[in-house]
Parts: sequence; C-alpha cells; structure tokens
Amino acid sequence: MTNPVTRDRRHFEDLVAGEVVDLGRTKVTRQMILTFAREFDPLPFHLDEEAAKASLLGGLASSGWQTGALSLRMLVDSFLGKLASAGGLGFKNLKWKNPVMVDDTIGGTVTVVELRRSHHHPEWGVVTMDFDVRNQKNQPVLTMRLANLVELRDPTAPLPEAAQ
Amino acid sequence: MTRWYEDIIIDEVIDLGAHTFSQEEIIRFGRLYDPQYFHVDPDLAQHSHFGGIIASGWHTVCVGHGKMVDALYAEEQRLRALGKEPGVSGPSPGVNSMEFKVPVRAGDTVRYTLCVTGKRESNSLPGWGLLFNTIEARNQRDELVYRAELVGFSKLRDYKMPIKLRLLLALTRVPVLGKAIRAGT
Repeated sequence: MTNPVTRDRRHFEDLVAGEVVDLGRTKVTRQMILTFAREFDPLPFHLDEEAAKASLLGGLASSGWQTGALSLRMLVDSFLGKLASAGGLGFKNLKWKNPVMVDDTIGGTVTVVELRRSHHHPEWGVVTMDFDVRNQKNQPVLTMRLANLVELRDPTAPLPEAAQ
Repeated sequence: MTRWYEDIIIDEVIDLGAHTFSQEEIIRFGRLYDPQYFHVDPDLAQHSHFGGIIASGWHTVCVGHGKMVDALYAEEQRLRALGKEPGVSGPSPGVNSMEFKVPVRAGDTVRYTLCVTGKRESNSLPGWGLLFNTIEARNQRDELVYRAELVGFSKLRDYKMPIKLRLLLALTRVPVLGKAIRAGT
C-alpha cells in the first residue's frame, strides 16, 4: 500500500515541532496582480490605479487571496512538496497586515508549531504551521495558522504522546 | 451587499451562484499556486488517497470570493436601477477560520452562499463598520466543501465625523502643520 509518489519524501515521523522553513522570495508584479484580480477579485482597488489611490489601500495592491495563494506556493516549493502531504485541512487567524503593492517582494518563514496523530485516520498526522510573511521593508503582510495532513511511514505505530 | 453598513441584514442567506470546475482550470490554478501532485498530475494523483485529481482548497476559495465580488456588483446595479446610491465595501482585515471538508473534483458544481452573522462599527477606522461573514460552499450532492468565517469592512452612510477629527483633518492640509501632526500620530 506504499504510495510510490511519496515513498522517498519526508513523512510525519521525520518532522519536529520548532522547525523553521525559509519561504524564499516572490516579486509581485503589476501583471500578476491584474491577472489574478480579473479572474478572482475584480474590485476596483485591485484593477485600477486611480480607484486604488482613492481606496483604503492607497495604491494598486494584490488581492489578499493572491497574497495567501503566493504564500502557499512558496510553502509548497520549500517544504510541502518535499513531504508525503495528504492534503490541507484549512487555516485559522489569517490576517492581512499590510497591502502588497506593485513590485513588492514578499518572503518570510513558516514554523512547525504542532504535530499530532489523527485519531480517525491512523495513517495520517496533522502538521500545524504558522506563517510570517513580510515585504522587502520587513513589514508583516500576512500571518496565518495552516493545518495539513502528512502520511505516516508506519501507520501501525501506536498513538504516542511523544508525537505532540 | 454593496449596501450601506446600516442596510445589511443579519442572518440573511445570500446565494452567490455556482461554478463548475474543469480539470483544465484545476491544473492551471495548481501549477501557479499549489503544485502538489494531486492538484496538477492526473496520473500521479491516482496514487493519492483521493484516487484522482482534486482542486486546491485555495482554488475553491478564490472562486467563491470571485462569486461574492460578482454579487457585490449585481447588488450595486440593482440599487442604481432603483435610483438609490449604493454603499461602499472595503478590503478585508482577515479570516477567522477556513475548514476544507470535501474535495472538489473535475466536473463538480459548487454553490456558494454568504451570510452576515454580525456587525459592529470599527474602532480603528472611523466611518466604517465591520461585517462578520460566513461563506459556505456545497457541491451538487449538497456536501459541505468548505466553511469560512471572514471579516469585511463596509462604509457607514450616516456617519458624521466628530468635530475634533474634522478639525485635525483640516489642519493636516496645512503643509508644515500637517507634517508635524502626521509625525506625532
């Protein structure tokens, strides 16, 4: 029943709470902002420079959902794509701290804050991670707590308290 | 929905419409934002516990957000047609919780609803109110795809700026004084 795709990746047993992942950097261009906004968030302050200046954001800024999706992309490239990931469960306390403006570069860290076995599915563990995404001026732009399922290498192992 | 803060009705369930997800768009979103094998590779996805390709949860959420924005415009049109001035909705400060429940596969049709469960005037942004929104997404079998608790800003129609604040705002327009005031705040 071994999954050939994830066989050689890091499994739940290989993770430790406290691990800090460097997300790398992503430059957010005008074209990226406009392309995303046209499909998913066609509000004036994500599409039109003049409307954006007059809005609370003060200039053309990315959709908060795009900032989130780009943060996820950085996590997949730097961490999640190297895990035996079994899918996301969701997130909590997502906060858009500052708008991401045209040509801002975002990056930051993700910290593994909790590891626990799933009680309903012994073949999985839940990894909980805190995002701290910042712009090139080191101002915070996004924080959130994300939960993701990771396959166990040995699902028959008893549920240990030590996995916490 | 592009209603003034005062006109928002609590606990009214608003249908935001439905979207059918194609495999092509699932892969396109996955490649850009969530390139895990079960979002981008139909063959490899067979080995996952999903047994095939599924949409990134973030994709289903972004589509739902787009549906909400479409509904905002539709409401604006409706109000203008009635000869009324529509309200102003602002950016969102965040999401309290987002729970992905049932995966979305190619061909699934997801229907989105919005419900404002509470509202209050903002302490930090005078003239604006906070809306506490619940968005639910359900597939064609009425299974819950995700539930989100979000916060949004909405402008007050009846807001009168306090005289002290108006005076301060006027003073910030005087070049030298304005600089000093902004530096002090």
